[in-house]
Amino acid sequence: MALDLSTIDSLEAALTYHRERHTVLAGNVANLDTPGFRPLDLARPHEGSASQLAVDAPGHIASVESPQVVTSFDDGGGLQGADGNAVSLERELAKIDANRARYATAAELVSRRLAMLRYAAGDGT
Amino acid sequence: MSNTMDFFTAMEVSASGLAAERTRMNVAASNLANAQTTQAAGGGPYKRKDVVLSSTDVPGAAGTPFAQAVRGVAVSQISQDASPPRLEYDPGHPQANAQGYVAYPNVNPVEEMVDMITASRAYEAGITTMSTAVNMAERALGIGK
Repeated sequence: MALDLSTIDSLEAALTYHRERHTVLAGNVANLDTPGFRPLDLARPHEGSASQLAVDAPGHIASVESPQVVTSFDDGGGLQGADGNAVSLERELAKIDANRARYATAAELVSRRLAMLRYAAGDGT
Repeated sequence: MSNTMDFFTAMEVSASGLAAERTRMNVAASNLANAQTTQAAGGGPYKRKDVVLSSTDVPGAAGTPFAQAVRGVAVSQISQDASPPRLEYDPGHPQANAQGYVAYPNVNPVEEMVDMITASRAYEAGITTMSTAVNMAERALGIGK
């Protein structure tokens, strides 16, 4: 089996997306007490061919061949308070932690890929 | 990669939230400290202050396709509570009016305590979010080790 280095590019896209998403989610937490603020999130829609892996869950990342279009959307959030703010702290922190875990997973996968490459290029120790 | 933003942008966003919550805490503390101040600058009793927050653009995100989705926060105004002062009958007080009433500030200590608790919780959430950004940056630095 050939070592497919293009997965590293996919993983890089995943790392970028999760980093940017963290910034948007951090903005939701910063605006916890801003009147009328509605929480935002980042989506990465998929427009790929049938040969590509399906992107059918929020955490999935489109493969590199497809257009990398990132759009933001109104997250809906929790119940709207009297001041029109719809940020739910628990919800945002849960999303931030899930996002962090996904980032860590992608980072770990890049490390493993590079470790395989290092193993192949080295003397097998 | 161009047109992207780094972890410092996320930290900038969290920092704006921390600064806003600290201002809320300072204002609540100031209100509590002046809960009995009958003679404030400008005459009359101290008037309760309120922090008005509004979301802002973040310079670090400028130029990215979703710059509008990255929202910082800033104190746009510190307003004065226009509700009437609390009147207490105390004819011997030097600031008593002709009817013997003294005007005390329109500060409700319970309300200020609640404000302080919510500001404190929001501050903690901001710290957590910033720690997460640092944690993610460290994971990125660990790639290939």
